[in-house]
Amino acid sequence: MRRSQSTADHEHGREGLPVLSFGGWLIVAIALVSTVLFAASPVPKQEGRSMWTFARMHWLMYQPMVEKWNAEQTTRVNMNLLSLPALERRMLGAFLSETPSADVIEVERKVASRAFTGPLDAVGFVDLTDRLTSEGLLDGINAPSFSPWTSRGRVFGVPHDVHPVMLSYRADLVEAAGIDVSQIKTWDDFARVMKPLMADNDGDGKPDRYLLNMWDTHDEHLEVLLYQAGGGFFDESGHMVIDSPTNAHVLATVVSWCVGKDRIAADAPDFSASGNKLKADGYVVCTLMPDWMGDIWKHEIPQLTGKVKLMPLPAWGAGVAAPERRTSVWGGTMIGIPRTAVKSPQDFEDLWKFVKHLYLNDELARDLYRVGGIVTPVKAHWKDPIFDEPSAYFAGQAPGRMYINLAPQVPMRSSSPYNNFARYRVQDALVKITEEAREQERAKPGSLNFDALLKRASEELRLAAKKVQVQIDRNVFLKEESR
Amino acid sequence: MATLSSQTRRAPWLFLLPFLAVFATFTLYPLIRAMMLAGQQTFGPGYTKWVGGSNFAALMNDALFWTALKNTVVFTLGSVFVQLPVSLAMAMMLEAKGLRGKGVYRAILFAPSLVGVSFAAVLFALMFEKRTGLVNQGLHGATAWLSLLSGKDLAWSLDFGWLEQHVMAALIVAALWMYAGFNMLFFSAALQNIRQDIKEAATVDGAGPVARFFHVTVPAIRPVAAFVVLLSIIGSFQLFELPYLMLNGGAGPNNRGLTVVMYLYQVGFETGDLGYASAIGWTLTLILLGFTIAQRMTARGEEVAR
Repeated sequence: MRRSQSTADHEHGREGLPVLSFGGWLIVAIALVSTVLFAASPVPKQEGRSMWTFARMHWLMYQPMVEKWNAEQTTRVNMNLLSLPALERRMLGAFLSETPSADVIEVERKVASRAFTGPLDAVGFVDLTDRLTSEGLLDGINAPSFSPWTSRGRVFGVPHDVHPVMLSYRADLVEAAGIDVSQIKTWDDFARVMKPLMADNDGDGKPDRYLLNMWDTHDEHLEVLLYQAGGGFFDESGHMVIDSPTNAHVLATVVSWCVGKDRIAADAPDFSASGNKLKADGYVVCTLMPDWMGDIWKHEIPQLTGKVKLMPLPAWGAGVAAPERRTSVWGGTMIGIPRTAVKSPQDFEDLWKFVKHLYLNDELARDLYRVGGIVTPVKAHWKDPIFDEPSAYFAGQAPGRMYINLAPQVPMRSSSPYNNFARYRVQDALVKITEEAREQERAKPGSLNFDALLKRASEELRLAAKKVQVQIDRNVFLKEESR
Repeated sequence: MATLSSQTRRAPWLFLLPFLAVFATFTLYPLIRAMMLAGQQTFGPGYTKWVGGSNFAALMNDALFWTALKNTVVFTLGSVFVQLPVSLAMAMMLEAKGLRGKGVYRAILFAPSLVGVSFAAVLFALMFEKRTGLVNQGLHGATAWLSLLSGKDLAWSLDFGWLEQHVMAALIVAALWMYAGFNMLFFSAALQNIRQDIKEAATVDGAGPVARFFHVTVPAIRPVAAFVVLLSIIGSFQLFELPYLMLNGGAGPNNRGLTVVMYLYQVGFETGDLGYASAIGWTLTLILLGFTIAQRMTARGEEVAR
């Protein structure tokens, strides 16, 4: 009874407060006060407009231009550098929930295409087509550079680059072997002319080096070759072309490069220390090189300064849709204006003016090339003498001019949100055929046959196309729109 | 008295309220929302279509989902049948009589589980590189003498594709390094709880080390082992970061590293099909629920038998 009374006292509280002890009430009071203080504290208000970018190099390069803008204009712009995954999450989160994000967003191709999954009127970026047309920018900017930002005929971004692709080669090795690269017009020529470089000097029965950095697992290299040949995943009108004869031809050829007696390719992965070492050691002679890659090599493989040169990609020749094309495309960035940032016509005018100030600027075009090796898509700037300057890294060549000469040939790409899914499925097909070919070579060396590979490639691509079509057919929004 | 009693009844709920509010907001509501989402196709809240069970129907015919499930099961089997026996062996060695410096060994063996998954993934990705990786270089160097002796090329190939043709083996090895020490602690605790007199009685009765292991040790640690197996299965089915980072954000050639949660991520956050991703999530939940119920029933059966 005594114990029960004591418990009751405790529960009731000596001070007459029910249930909680003094300590308990103190915790509740602290929680309440801190909640009120937190809720009442003012949220810092950002002045002016905000811009998101994902590349540190861009962020550094834009600083003087943004400062100049802020000094001259009444509306300030604050630039924020975000990692690409963070930018992707925030941008898509804002687009899907129709909540504000930044006022201007610079974004990479694979991420931008994610904004095009739903109905056209749900795309989070402002449709710029009419403005680009009326101001003559559709003609003033290299046409293929618009394709990744064009969905169902409407353009949602201003392109930052062209990103043509050339073939880099170890000039020191090639010239020491007395090889004249001007003889190389097609990929068949490439294999034939460069073959002497695949000598077995250490006597282990295997070549000491291979001609091309290409492997069945390199999905981005495969994409570059598919685009060059006139293939790819979707055509300009958005129709799936995965199982095209051109794609089958490219896949069969890549398998023959990676397996069998005519093997010329090896795996020296990009963006990795091990791959860089293999390139520096000369394990691979040639690598697919978009304009932006040169800058990465300068920083990551400086020991190759003066030992690397560029040449246009060898053409595919007969059997593909674009037999003569000597370049391709790899990567891409755009700048766009989110719809939530535009609340009045004046908002759009201000932001559009800023976009043009940044992207059409001749000083930026020069910096872009000087710092990143990237060629501007603005055709008026192509005459700038900076693009004719010789590069010490590329043994005195002028890469800028070489890339610009190829820019008009850059293939068109699709902005389909299913590009990534399609790319994975085509790569699955390539891996499968390559592994079958390896098995066959192990069992019966020298038995690989191009026609048989072509047949298998066609079969596997048809299966890949089916898988992608199933995914697309599930999208009720696209289905409704096409009706 | 009646008033007091009702206050007493209300008190626990008052204390539970903060947790319940957080639980309801961040767990219960998303769970219900995900269940609804599994029957929809969405592009943000403004664009939602009810598609009924078609997400689940599509999943059953989705070859990639089955590939992901198969890979996940292989990894789970690796975890249960490779990792746990290694953990048990390590625990038994540590609990052996007369071993000095047990604390130091325990710390060393446990240390890998303190390392972040990202770090371990990057480390193992480098180690499993083809020509320059430590594993292939080490195996090549260690087997080079075979070639010298036989006159044939019997050395381990530097081009052995750990992260291409043997992705699951590479993942199981990486997970073994990370988690074997962690599971070892559970087994250590269980082994320490075995009564010494039972072991001594078995020895007096003529039981050798093998008989003692199967007839004394295994029955004694069975409840802990069942718990560790269940934790291992649940953890393995949630595998994501390790393959995602080791395979550079992809699923590896021919989807050999694709796991169920990776597929959910690809579908939901790369393709943007949140409805389908929710259907995958709920399917995974049902699978794990099945394992948990099976474990509970087995454990209850054993308790009743005792």
